[in-house]
Amino acid sequence: MRGIRFSRDPLSLAAAALLVVLLFCGLLGALTGVFGNPSALADLPLQPPSLSQPFGTDNLGRSLLARTVAAIQQSVLLSTAAVLIATIVGAAFGLVAGYVGGLVDDVIGRLADTLFSFPAIVLAILISALFQPGAASAIAAVTLITLPAVIRVVRAEAMAVAGRDYVVQSRIAGASALYAMIVHVAPNILGAVIVQAAYSISFGMIIESGISFLGLGVQPPAASLGSLLFDARPYLPLAPWLVFVPGLVLALTILSINLVGDGLKAGFEGSDA
Amino acid sequence: MLKLTDLVVDYVGRKGGNRVLHGVSLAVPRGAVYAVVGESGSGKSTLAAAIGRLPVPGLTPISGTIELDGMRLDTASEGELAAVRRDLLGYVFQDPVASLDPTMTIGRQLVLAAGLTGKRAVGALAELGIRDPERTLASHPHEISGGMAQRVAIAIAVARRPRLIIADEPTAALDASVRRQVLDLLVAQCRAADATMLLVTHDLEAVRRYADHVAVMHAGRVVEAGPTRAVLDSPSAHYTRVLLASTIGHEQPGERVVPTEVAP
Repeated sequence: MRGIRFSRDPLSLAAAALLVVLLFCGLLGALTGVFGNPSALADLPLQPPSLSQPFGTDNLGRSLLARTVAAIQQSVLLSTAAVLIATIVGAAFGLVAGYVGGLVDDVIGRLADTLFSFPAIVLAILISALFQPGAASAIAAVTLITLPAVIRVVRAEAMAVAGRDYVVQSRIAGASALYAMIVHVAPNILGAVIVQAAYSISFGMIIESGISFLGLGVQPPAASLGSLLFDARPYLPLAPWLVFVPGLVLALTILSINLVGDGLKAGFEGSDA
Repeated sequence: MLKLTDLVVDYVGRKGGNRVLHGVSLAVPRGAVYAVVGESGSGKSTLAAAIGRLPVPGLTPISGTIELDGMRLDTASEGELAAVRRDLLGYVFQDPVASLDPTMTIGRQLVLAAGLTGKRAVGALAELGIRDPERTLASHPHEISGGMAQRVAIAIAVARRPRLIIADEPTAALDASVRRQVLDLLVAQCRAADATMLLVTHDLEAVRRYADHVAVMHAGRVVEAGPTRAVLDSPSAHYTRVLLASTIGHEQPGERVVPTEVAP
């Protein structure tokens, strides 16, 4: 393996650095509690940002810094878990569809098209409404929404690689179709899978925030960036920081993930070599 | 010997089939170097892939027979075919870099594709004129030249001492400076292994130099076949004359290049 390559584009590198900082803060907060307890009362309600409470307090007097850090962790974790499942399942289906072709490809392709035909947020609401609202249904929703894109990307890549001479050569040498798929096709489409997974995480965060904003995702006292925005709505005129801080963090996280995706894509395609 | 009788092959895609070979018949004597020439799109590469019924997307044999040393490949089961491909056939493809997996070292590929390990792998590469075999074995395909990659591909193709080596334009993607070296090596390996070689090529000079027999293909049909000298020196088919006249060095002073309509 030649390893994962990353673009040298300054914007992508800055985005990667910002993402590392955000994730590090989330991890540090979870492990050490250095940013405070997200559920405990820290001060008077609706206090503006100050030295003791850098992001202010919410309507109950909880530290918005602690809740935002916990929310980053929650949102990224939920989206990553969902995308990981979608990537593993989608890559397996896409690989088989692209390599085997024919009827198998038609069936898998139609299934992906069916999932694609639902508007993402409608499908998310449907899943969350069918099951108990919470982290599990948020993960299920994000998984099902990001799955068809993974299948399509992997299928197209596998189809292109399946006809390459080295795959044919391995079959000539006696390799089975399954062996050729695992040993030759899969490693050669890994770059596309990783890039798609990165984009899917940012899309997953949008969906997760959307359903949490609608009250169908993460439930109190846990916080996600979407639920923080939902909780802050009535206080927008009184405490605008309650909306701006999680909104800005959400926007920056999604932007960073997308730019990291661009950086990975450029690195794999060698466009900045 | 390899014998093809009325071989009809389609490429089948989502929008239906496209007939590429329209009843090709060939008889390749054992141990011979047999060239197949013709313009792009004449069906040469399809013929090469169809002989081993390679798992190329869309390639679909429709009718006709393929016989290798008395074994029918056209009716063989997938299991029998896999054994024939592994033990009796060796393929060398056009683009040497594309025929090697970019994610693996050359050494790993020699193990997987040809069962060559340790000293045998070093010896196989050294025999093909690779000066630093150990270093090459540790390299990835993008770290070696096209000529070197084609030598590796030849090592893989001949490692199991196949009875039939099918070389599909093996030097078309190489620099002119290494084409002859690579073909010399390929033919020498083939002769040393007492294997038959089907050489698909555009290069009529190479045909003259290496091939014992030649078949000329046009629009999915063999329009002329026979001993190389007879076909190239006194062609009987109109298309063969057109093909020969189109090569550099055969033009007449002051001659204009006029597109030629040739009936298939």
